[in-house]
Amino acid sequence: MDRRIDRRHFLVQAGAAAGAVAVAGCTLEVEDETADGSGDPTLPQFYEIQDKPDAVYLPTHREAMEMLEPVEAGEYTLAPMLSYVHPFWIISGDEIEREEPDDGNGVHLMIVVWDTETGVVLPIDSGTQLRVTKDGERIGSPRTLWTMISQQMGFHFGDNVPLADDGTYTAELTIPPLDVRTTGELEGKFAETETASFEFEYDAAFRNEIPARVEYLDREEWGEPGALEPMRHGGDMENGGHNDSDDEDAGHVQFSALPPAEEYPGIGLEPSSGADAATSGDAVFVTRLLESGSRFVEGGERYLLVSPRTPYNRVPLADMAMTATVSGGETDSAVALEQTIDGEYGIHYGAALAGVEPGSTVTIEIDSFPQVARHQGYDTAFFDMPPVELMVPDSIDS
Amino acid sequence: MTIPERGGLSRRDYLRAVVAVGGASAISACLDERGEVDVPAGTDDPDSLPARQHAWNEFLETDDDGNVRPPEHHVLVALSLASDPADRDDGDSLTEPAETVEGSLQTLERAYEWSNDGLLFTVGYTPSYFDRFDGELPETVDLPVPEALTDREDPAFDEFDALLHLASDHPEVVLRAEKALFGELETVNGEPIETDLTGVFERLEERRRTGFVGPGLPAEHTDVDGVPDSVPEEAPFFMGFRSGFRESQATEDRVTIRDGPFAGGATQQLSSLDVQLDVWFEQESHAQRVMKTFSPDHDEDQVGEVGEALETSNGLTDEQIDDTEADARNRGVVGHAQKAARAREDGEQIILRRDFNTVDGDAPGTHFLSLQREMDDFLAVREAMTGADLDVGISQNNGIRSYIFVGRRGNYLLPPRSRRALPTPRPD
Repeated sequence: MDRRIDRRHFLVQAGAAAGAVAVAGCTLEVEDETADGSGDPTLPQFYEIQDKPDAVYLPTHREAMEMLEPVEAGEYTLAPMLSYVHPFWIISGDEIEREEPDDGNGVHLMIVVWDTETGVVLPIDSGTQLRVTKDGERIGSPRTLWTMISQQMGFHFGDNVPLADDGTYTAELTIPPLDVRTTGELEGKFAETETASFEFEYDAAFRNEIPARVEYLDREEWGEPGALEPMRHGGDMENGGHNDSDDEDAGHVQFSALPPAEEYPGIGLEPSSGADAATSGDAVFVTRLLESGSRFVEGGERYLLVSPRTPYNRVPLADMAMTATVSGGETDSAVALEQTIDGEYGIHYGAALAGVEPGSTVTIEIDSFPQVARHQGYDTAFFDMPPVELMVPDSIDS
Repeated sequence: MTIPERGGLSRRDYLRAVVAVGGASAISACLDERGEVDVPAGTDDPDSLPARQHAWNEFLETDDDGNVRPPEHHVLVALSLASDPADRDDGDSLTEPAETVEGSLQTLERAYEWSNDGLLFTVGYTPSYFDRFDGELPETVDLPVPEALTDREDPAFDEFDALLHLASDHPEVVLRAEKALFGELETVNGEPIETDLTGVFERLEERRRTGFVGPGLPAEHTDVDGVPDSVPEEAPFFMGFRSGFRESQATEDRVTIRDGPFAGGATQQLSSLDVQLDVWFEQESHAQRVMKTFSPDHDEDQVGEVGEALETSNGLTDEQIDDTEADARNRGVVGHAQKAARAREDGEQIILRRDFNTVDGDAPGTHFLSLQREMDDFLAVREAMTGADLDVGISQNNGIRSYIFVGRRGNYLLPPRSRRALPTPRPD
């Protein structure tokens, strides 16, 4: 695949921030973005790491943000968070573009959305719209929020939102119905358009305090394989549908971690490669074959459940397209996997599967990799995604 | 609104602002700025004008590639009947006001040449207008009430009676035409005004809309909040690319109603959209904009900066159109034009776009005006363009739909010229 990653070249400023550091055999060119004209002293320094691995890597810093009170809208709870404007990467097909904030005026607005009843984070893009007003006057045009993944925040909706003046702003969010198959406790949900709004302050205190809370990693760690720990928001970090409802403290934010592999039902398919876990493009694929009679299939067929997630933090990789092909049985058959959100297992891709026998090969072709926007550390992974080859173990009933 | 200070505004910007304000002071502002322009006069012989109100193309100029160049300045005047003629006997009570309307419109046709250098206009009527009458529109007219067309939109609807669309390359012409129709002038382009619409129609000021289209005009509005400096200098539309290519537009014949009492008319659909340009220009790359506007196969070499390299069509092949579904799934991105082209019939476009840019409400937008024989044709194109059937990963990669926000929609019948004055649903 032709990868065209935007590597904007910044002027190198003299001083500690500039230079080239050789770490573990790869070269990190450390460059100073403030030299690129942003010039706003209230923004943190954003360093771009050169020669990043084609994998999840440790970013330069932990982002800081302000948590706002979650708001409810219909079946949803929305947790808004505000940070300073900062770079991220947007993807269309194989075109990757680094979004570069013009100046420091504005906020990076983030929203985590979950099903209030089950606590399941909803990593599904339905085109959530944001309208901002101040004193009843509209600020800028409406916008459709990007779906994004970050190591600290997991899956969320967000964008850099320019704001010219200090004051109290109102953000209104519109969530159209989710165009996704729903199963289990979530079956039939999310069919209505919902609107939520919240207010936030944007002022010098915000601009001074939040960026000052940024924590930089040791330079030796930048670009190394790994991921930052998810942010702890004072609540349950696990999201597999098990919301510890006794934990109702304010500011509780669900993190979009999928359950670990061992919590999935059915029989695990084994990577043909002999590796411990199926991976592609640094994504981990939990793949399960559920026997006939599962709640996911109406007829007598088995159900193939494929759950791709980030390594380390188990953040779901949503809005992909995949096809599964079974070979070794009577006939080769290809079936498109359908994105599904389940009350127990969260987002996954699934299909009823016929003709599976012990020893069959199941090949999962990644038709399109996750087009979700990326924060630093996820911007070079999940692009080049070769097919995942799996073996059906002998332990299934033929 | 008041006439803006000329101040630091460019000439075109200033004139746009003046059209948006309207009124007598606006006209004198135009004249101060431009001086009196010699606008060609119209005709005393109404029969010499085309039978179709929407017969504009042959009276418009074309660009170097032979594509029709729309008039630069537009005003949409919303009209409400001053008194309800249907309160009395159906039809008969309309005779006098209908004559007033026809006489007023003929005054404009005498005053201005039917061209972009003079004045082009249409008058259209809403389903609400026809509702007041006992009879229903014939089956040959497909004019449903407007509605939300996707679950991403929640528009308000044009439920007034009629809409006058005035268009000219000269801003003072559209302004004077509007004033002439409402009794605020004694002559228009030297033509005495004997009748006007006052007493028959009232204007709904809050529904008055304005706009502009043409190379360079969008880039002159970077003073407006939400219009970034990065709008390309030569772009005719806010989204940055040419459109309305000859081979990507329906012909006027294709959109004309063929049978029944309104043969020679057309239906008109008007959606007023907000457009998100900051993200489009400041975050997306040119290559991404090209893919999302045309198709993932299109690139800058084929398109050029603002579509100048495309000559008479958007360059889509039948194969690319057929591949829309596969591109969504396998490439994760599809083009707006590619999607919409799926609604073509035998390779021919079925709607005629006459959309233009606006900064009404001091924000960038589009008045997406289209003509079609049946409203169903528009619905088919809109459904194809929405692409809800496509397996695209994220909304932002499904053409340009994440960048447009429908605020209002109206459906209209543009009767043939002979029936343009207060038609009843079942004339004769």
